[in-house]
Amino acid sequence: MDDVEHAADPAALIEAYHHAGWTDGLPVVPPSDASVAAMLAGAGLRGDEVVGEIPGRNAMVTAESLAINAVMAGCRPEYAPVVVAAVESLCHPDFAYHGPASSTGGSAMVLVVNGPIARALGINSGHNAFGQGHRANAAIGRAVRLVMMNALNTRPGFLDRATFGHPGKYSFCFAEREDAPWGPFHVSRGFAPEDSTVTLYASNTLCQVYNQLASTPEPILLCYADALYNLGSPNVYGFNQGLVVMGFEHADVMRAAGWTRRDVQTFLVEHCRRRVADLKRAGRLPGPLHPDDETTWRYGFDSPDDVLLVCAGGAGSWSAVLPGWGKKWTRAITTRIREGATR
Amino acid sequence: MKMFDPTTRRTGPPTLRLAPRPASLAGLRLGLVDNRKVNARPILEKIAERLAARHGTRVAVWNTKRSPSHEIDEPAVGALMGDADLVISGVGD
Repeated sequence: MDDVEHAADPAALIEAYHHAGWTDGLPVVPPSDASVAAMLAGAGLRGDEVVGEIPGRNAMVTAESLAINAVMAGCRPEYAPVVVAAVESLCHPDFAYHGPASSTGGSAMVLVVNGPIARALGINSGHNAFGQGHRANAAIGRAVRLVMMNALNTRPGFLDRATFGHPGKYSFCFAEREDAPWGPFHVSRGFAPEDSTVTLYASNTLCQVYNQLASTPEPILLCYADALYNLGSPNVYGFNQGLVVMGFEHADVMRAAGWTRRDVQTFLVEHCRRRVADLKRAGRLPGPLHPDDETTWRYGFDSPDDVLLVCAGGAGSWSAVLPGWGKKWTRAITTRIREGATR
Repeated sequence: MKMFDPTTRRTGPPTLRLAPRPASLAGLRLGLVDNRKVNARPILEKIAERLAARHGTRVAVWNTKRSPSHEIDEPAVGALMGDADLVISGVGD
């Protein structure tokens, strides 16, 4: 803590945080001793505990810095366990923080919350799930980005080299709907239904997919496949992960047809593909065209498990696909949320 | 009212320090780190070729990272520290 004295005017204090370079560009909530202590209590952590470290960066997140950033982001203390689990995911070796955090690709850190905590905290999974208007969604995602900027020193123009960035870099957090036709996403990742989890996934693209006419799964999923593996996708070399957020009207079509999660995943593995000839013509693969390039395919996924299938959103014939960042240079990480328990 | 520093500052002496700078490139042992991007290896090979022609350097260590996103592993760090005087890491987008 800096014992920098400021005028009693809260606006002056907010300006001081901007001036220090500690904000995401929006005003922050100035922390106090009481609010930081409450956030630590919400997390069930002492201030000096280390929440995570980034190998090779000489960077770490202490519980105190997490709590300060969470207060600044507008979190309530009960949000803290979600932020802690998300930061643990950031620091997981398989997430490989360096690439998704620093690449020119400029990924958003997408947080998908599952389990009882989502309802308890009011994390929106329905109408406008990716949009504004829900404090928990906005503040939790924002806290993770502030932790990246402040505790992990991942600042634009320095260790964040995004060409464009992504609006979701301010905040990107939503919950899965509880009426998914094939059970909760986190259970498919090996967790118990009663567990609460957060899944961290790096994506620099969000493409909403519209299909209002199809009444069978295949045409809908062909639209997803096309959006997941366009010619400009960074992942034309294949073997990537992709996040599919299925709206409930599309999910109802899958349910009516008796399609399982595995059926959907397998269909997308088989149809997320491009001809080598098309990739070469587009300059996405090197070398001259060969006759067999017209009949040789490059696939986006090599396993059904690489298709991360979540249900969210409100009424409407929409879904969303979020191609991943890089090849298997980063992996989505799901972490169990420990609610208010001392570790 | 006071400000709270949201950064994490390590206490104690710095854990990272720069290696001594060589006075000359003449005859140095090169360490090359390929990050697996498409053009990383050709760029590193060309740089090594030019340094050899101009300064008599030689390639002593080649390391290929697991991916651009992953850090170099500890054994590779040890090899570079022990066997190389100058290390170049490729980007190669």
